Amino acid sequence: MASALEHYVNNVRTMTSAGNFRELVDYLNDSMELLQRNLNLLDNVMETLDLQHHSLGVMYIVAAKISEIQNEDPEPVLSLVKRFVTICNGEQVRNAPQTYFDLFHAYTNLLVKRKLNTTQGIPVLTVAIEKIQLMESQLTPIHADLCQLCLSSKVFKPALYFLDVDVTTIAAAEDHQDSTTKYFLLYYYYGGMVYAAVKNYDRALYFFEVAISTPATAMSHIMLESYKKYILISLILRGKQITIPKYSPQVIGRFIKPLSQHYHELSNVYINSGSPEAVRAVITKYQETFVRDNNLGLVKQVLSTLYKKKIQRLTKTFLTLSLSDVASRASLSSPAEAEKYILNMIKSGEIFAAINQKDGMVVFHDDPEKYNTPHMYLNIQEDMNKIIELNKKITQMEEEIMLTPMFVKKSTIPESVVDDKGYPSEACE
Amino acid sequence: MPLQPAQQNAIEPMQVDVQPEDNENNEEEYISVEDPTLDLESYANSYTGLAKLYRLIFIADHCPTLRLEAIKMAINYVMATTYNVNMYQMLHKKLADLNSSAQQSATAALPDIASQSGNSLDIPPYDSVWVEQKTKKAALKLEKLDNDLKNSKSNSIKESIRRGHDDLGDHYLSCGELSNALKCYSRARDYCTSGRHVVNMCLNVIKVSIYLQNWTHVLSYVSKAECTPEFSETQNRDQNQATLTRLKCAAGLAELATKKYKLAAKHFLQANFDHCDFPDMISCNNIAIYGGLCALATFDRQELQKNVISSASFKLFLELEPQVRDIVFKFYESKYAQCLKLLDEMRDNLLLDIYLAPHVNKLYTKIRNRALIQYFSPYLSADMRKMSEAFNCSVAALENEIMQLILDGQIQARIDSHNKILYAKNADQRSSTFEKAINVGKEFQRRTRMLVLRTAMLKKQIHVRAQTRERQEEVLMPSGSRSDARN
Repeated sequence: MASALEHYVNNVRTMTSAGNFRELVDYLNDSMELLQRNLNLLDNVMETLDLQHHSLGVMYIVAAKISEIQNEDPEPVLSLVKRFVTICNGEQVRNAPQTYFDLFHAYTNLLVKRKLNTTQGIPVLTVAIEKIQLMESQLTPIHADLCQLCLSSKVFKPALYFLDVDVTTIAAAEDHQDSTTKYFLLYYYYGGMVYAAVKNYDRALYFFEVAISTPATAMSHIMLESYKKYILISLILRGKQITIPKYSPQVIGRFIKPLSQHYHELSNVYINSGSPEAVRAVITKYQETFVRDNNLGLVKQVLSTLYKKKIQRLTKTFLTLSLSDVASRASLSSPAEAEKYILNMIKSGEIFAAINQKDGMVVFHDDPEKYNTPHMYLNIQEDMNKIIELNKKITQMEEEIMLTPMFVKKSTIPESVVDDKGYPSEACE
Repeated sequence: MPLQPAQQNAIEPMQVDVQPEDNENNEEEYISVEDPTLDLESYANSYTGLAKLYRLIFIADHCPTLRLEAIKMAINYVMATTYNVNMYQMLHKKLADLNSSAQQSATAALPDIASQSGNSLDIPPYDSVWVEQKTKKAALKLEKLDNDLKNSKSNSIKESIRRGHDDLGDHYLSCGELSNALKCYSRARDYCTSGRHVVNMCLNVIKVSIYLQNWTHVLSYVSKAECTPEFSETQNRDQNQATLTRLKCAAGLAELATKKYKLAAKHFLQANFDHCDFPDMISCNNIAIYGGLCALATFDRQELQKNVISSASFKLFLELEPQVRDIVFKFYESKYAQCLKLLDEMRDNLLLDIYLAPHVNKLYTKIRNRALIQYFSPYLSADMRKMSEAFNCSVAALENEIMQLILDGQIQARIDSHNKILYAKNADQRSSTFEKAINVGKEFQRRTRMLVLRTAMLKKQIHVRAQTRERQEEVLMPSGSRSDARN
C-alpha cells in the first residue's frame, strides 16, 4: 500500500518536472480511488510534495480528503484548503478544472452543511475564483458557491464585487456540462437573491431573467424557484408582470407556469384590482406556499409597493392634497400612516414632496433633476462609454464568427442558406 | 318541399331571438327607456324591409311606452310586404305576451299555444289564413325559382344562373331566412362576368350581413367591392356615387359596431347626400347622428372644423337632425354646458337606436372628456368651481374625472386640491427627453449584456436536460435561440 503511494509521489514529481500535465491529470484521475483508500497516510504524502511546484498532485490529495470527510473535526481540512488556495499554481491546476471546481463545491457544502462559520469561506473562494479565472468577466462554477456562502452569512459585499461584473465567457470543464449548467443556474439564482437582498431589484430581475431563459429541455427546480422570484420582483420593480423573453425554453410555459399558480394569482390581483385588501387576502390565502418557498418577505414588499405606487400616481395628478385625502385615495388606514409612507418615500427619493403639518397638507413637487449639472453630464458620459464598449464587444464577436471556417464555408457556397437560422453552429453538427 | 317551412318554423324564431346576442355588447345591462320623444310613425317610415322590422322590434323590446304601437306597426308591415311568416308569428307572440301581462286575463295563455301550433282561430288578430296562404305561396315561389335556376344551370347560361341565384336570395330574404339568402347571394359570385355584377353581389352580401350583424363579413365585402377594377375606375360617375355612399355607410356601421369610432366617423362623413337612398339599411338621419357623434367623440378641433362643420355634403345631413347640428356647433363654440344638455336630451332617443344603443354611454363619455380637455386647453390655471358649473357636476366628481384624464395623459395638468385650482403643467421637453434617452440607453445595455451572456452560454452548451445519459446525443442547441442571440 505504502509503495503505491510512493509510486504516486514519484509519478507526480517526474511528470510535473517534465511538464507533462495532461498525462499527469489522466494518471491522477485514475489514482483518486487509491488516495481515498489511504486517508490516514495522505498527510505524510503531502509532506513530500511542494504545494507550489506540485499543485496538481496536492490538489487531488486535498480533494480526496475533503470528499471522504465524515464527522471528525473539519478544522484541519478547512485550513488545508485555505493554505492550498493561497499557494497553489493557477497555471497548473487549470489542467484539471473539474477537480478544482469539485474541491470548492465540497468545501462550500462542508461549511453550509455543518453550519460552520460561513464567513471564513468567503475569502478562500474569492482567491479560488481569481486563481482559476482567465479574465475578470469569466464565470466559473465557484461563483455560485461564493454567492451561496455570502447569502448564508449575510455578507454581500464580496459577492457584489463579482456580481457587478458582466459575464462574457464561461469557464467550464469539458464533458461536465450538466454540472456546469447546474452551477450556472445556481449562480444566477443566488446572484438574484443577493441583489434582491440589497434591494437592487433591477439587477435582481436581470439575474432571474437569465436563469429562466436558459435553454432547457427538462424542468429544473432552480428555474422554477427563479421564476417565482422573477414574478415577485417584476411586481415590485415595475408594478406589472413582465413577459418572459421569447427565447425562453418551452418548459417555462409547459411545466413551470402551472407550478407557480399562486404567484400568478397574486400578480393578477395586484394588477387588476389594485386594492391592497384584495392583495392581502390572496397573501393570507396562500401564506403557506409563500412561507414554504421562503418568499414571504418579497411578497410583503409587493404589498407595500402597491401603496407606494398609489402615492406616486397622486404626485402626478395633484399639487396639493390633504393627508386624509392621500390616505383615502391610496387606501391607507389613517392620515398618520399616509404621513409615514410619504416621509419614507421622500427620504428614499421616490417622490418629491413636502408635508405641511400645520394644516395637514402635502405639497408635491416636480422632479428637481434638470439634467444640467456636471454630475449628470458625467453620468451620461459614463453610460455612453459603456455602450461604446459593448458595441466594440459585439463587433469583435461578429468578427470572430465571420472568421469561423464553418461560417466561411457556408456563406461562400451559392444557394446555401445564410439566413440567421443556418448560422454555423459547431455544436449543432 | 312543403315540409321545409315547417322545419324552418322550428329554427327561424330562434334565429330572430338570438340575433341581438350576436352583438358583442350582449353583456351590457338591459336598457329601458321610459320617456322617449320619438315620433314612431315617421321614424318607421324612413326604413323599409328588415331594417324597419328590426328597428321596430328593438324599440318594442326597450321601450315599454311604445311597445304596443311598434309591434302593431311591425305586424302590419310584415303582412303587407313580406313572406316572413315566422317573423309574423314571433311578433304576434310578443303582442299576445303584452296583452296577457297587461290584462292578466284568463284567456291570455291561449294565444301563446295558438300561435305556436299555427292554429289561432280563437284570437281575432291572428290571421291564420294569411299565414297559410303565405306559406304556400312562398313554397310555390321557391319551387319555381329553384326550377328556373336548375334550368339555367343545365343550359349553363352564366348570366341567368347569376340572376337565378339573386332572385332566390331575394326570396329567402323576404321569408326572413337570412342564412339561406346569404348563401344564395354568395353563390352568385362564381357567375359574375363584369365588375358591376361583382359590386352588386357584394352589396347583396353586405345587406344580409348587416341584418345578421356579422361585421367582419361586412368590412371584407366592402373592401372587395371597392377593389373591383371597373368600380374604382369610374368612381366619379353618378350611379357609382350611390353605390359608394352605400358602401361607406355599411363600413361605417361595421366600424361603429366594433367600437372603432374614428374610422366610423370618417366613413359616415364620406357619404354623399344626393345619393343617399337606401332605406333597407340606414336613413339619412342615422348617418347624421352616427357620423356627428362619432366625429365629436374622436376628432380634434381642426378635424372637426375641416371635416364636419365646413363639409358641404355632411352639412346637408346635419340639417336633417338640427339637434345634432346644434350639438356639434355648440361644442365647437365651446359652449359645453349647452352642448352637454342637448346631448342629455337626445340620449333617450339614441338609446332606442338598434346600432347606436350599446355605444351611447361610451360615446358620451368620450365627448365629455374631449370637452373637458378643450375647456382647459387655453388656460394656465382654471378654477375648478367654475369648471364644475360649466359641466353641471360637483367639484369632487370633476376632480375624479380630471384625475383620470391626467393619469391617461390626456390633460397635462395638476390639481391643487387645497384651493380647487387646476394648474397646467408645463412639460419640460428637455428633461423628459433626457430621461427617455437615459432609459433607452439603460435598456440597450441590459439587452446587449444579456446577448453577450447568451452567446457565451450557447458556446459552452449550457443546457438543462433530463438526467438520463443517452439523451445527451439528441439534445442539441436549438437553432432558434441561436438566431435570437444574434439579433
